[in-house]
Amino acid sequence: MSELILQALYSGVLQGGSYALIALGLALVFGTMKVINLAHGELVLLAAYMAYMVESKLGLSPLFAIPLALVLVCTCAVLVYFLVSLIRKDRELNSLILTYGIGIILTNAVLLIWSADVRSTSSAWFQDAVVVGPFYSMRSELLFFVVASVLMAGLWWWLSRSWYGRAVRAVSSNRDAAKLMGINPRTTEIVSFVVAGILASFAGVAIFSYGVIQPAFGHALTVKAFIITVLAGIGSIPGVMVGGLLLGIAEALTVTLASSALQELVGMALFLLVLFLMPNGLFGAKARRG
Amino acid sequence: MLEIANVRAGYGAINILWDLSISVPTGQLTTIIGPNGAGKTTLLRAIMGLVPLSQGSIRLNGQPLDGSSTWHMLERGVAMIPEGRMIFKDMTIEENLMLGAFPKAHRAASQANCDKAYAMFPRLHERRTQLAGTLSGGEAQMLAMARGLMSDPKLLIIDEPSLGLAPVVVNELFEILARLKEEGRTIVLVEQNTHKAVGVADQVYLMQSGKVVLSQPAAEVSLEALHELYFAR
Repeated sequence: MSELILQALYSGVLQGGSYALIALGLALVFGTMKVINLAHGELVLLAAYMAYMVESKLGLSPLFAIPLALVLVCTCAVLVYFLVSLIRKDRELNSLILTYGIGIILTNAVLLIWSADVRSTSSAWFQDAVVVGPFYSMRSELLFFVVASVLMAGLWWWLSRSWYGRAVRAVSSNRDAAKLMGINPRTTEIVSFVVAGILASFAGVAIFSYGVIQPAFGHALTVKAFIITVLAGIGSIPGVMVGGLLLGIAEALTVTLASSALQELVGMALFLLVLFLMPNGLFGAKARRG
Repeated sequence: MLEIANVRAGYGAINILWDLSISVPTGQLTTIIGPNGAGKTTLLRAIMGLVPLSQGSIRLNGQPLDGSSTWHMLERGVAMIPEGRMIFKDMTIEENLMLGAFPKAHRAASQANCDKAYAMFPRLHERRTQLAGTLSGGEAQMLAMARGLMSDPKLLIIDEPSLGLAPVVVNELFEILARLKEEGRTIVLVEQNTHKAVGVADQVYLMQSGKVVLSQPAAEVSLEALHELYFAR
């Protein structure tokens, strides 16, 4: 039994890497623009379908879809930015309606192009089992966990060391003060959308490489990302990284100990529990003080 | 250096500044004093482009400023030191300082200016890796000042540096202001502490309800007359 639980923890952590990538994009955009991009999951899905197309039509490894996904997803992300920036009044609220609408349009576009069938990779190389110590996983799970870790380390470096990364944090922290520092907030907004697009591209290809995708999946991803962001405490980047892993672990444990039918429920339960016990999120308390 | 002429500005339907004119000569310290709600901070925000003008003009060295974006002001040699609460609380002190040199033109000198700032405010150096949110009110104000100096600005616009600080800290702050003035910087200082502000200034403006009600060289200002005007309703 304890072996099963340990194995579930391991799988959960691997899965959580992708969740964290998706949620980080949502959190970055929320930080700079105070906009919750409800079409974010659909952007991830778009990358996943790029991977499907490259594999099924070109017969190449889904890994080759990454450049394609980067171009397409980042373009879409910037497009979402421009549409949202057209909103003049009550942007925080109206952007919810707008991005929700964009999400529906993207879902239906995916439906139209790739049909409603459930897709998954047919690459044997990806699906081979890899053993690390006592733990098993698919090769793609481990591979993309490593990729996610590298991306997160890179993001961490960028946010804390680079001029633009710091500018993104400054705008999130105090918009007017950031303007006084010579930072154009619109630039950091576009930058945060593009970075969210980059993270979403990798996450999308990752999800296709070890899971199944279907057009309605984007919405579920948005919800997961939102849960993680709130779980972490809005505005806390390290919190989002941990929150992603937590959700991955919670889902994996649920599948192992109870039933896979409850997988989606556990996120919601966790979400309500955290909101009830720690309304500022697990890591949000510090940001709220003072 | 800075000419403010007939400026009207406010927030949406609420107008705050009424046909305000102020002139700031190069190399001098001009102080703007007045009670709460007189529109002092709004004036500074209007200079920096954070509040739009509905009438009048603001000129820097003869060039009109109105319509130019807040984030271009540093490149033009103008830095605003907002009150200490406007530091980036969830970033470290060093990160706060570095952001003061964000425009590309200032990045090359950022390390040197950072060292200068630490020399001026040794306490910030001791705490450079701490989050700015952990600083006391006085230290936060010091950080705001140090950050404002990171771009080595010619015109410094300072908003109520002594607000809510202990007298000892206030004395320390005004010593630093006097030093900045000696360095030849042009300074616009908004203050509530009239006694201190008049002591360090060259020219004094008294604002009330969005208007200038008194403009005098600091040497001629009688604090008693000033306080009478200040408290007259």
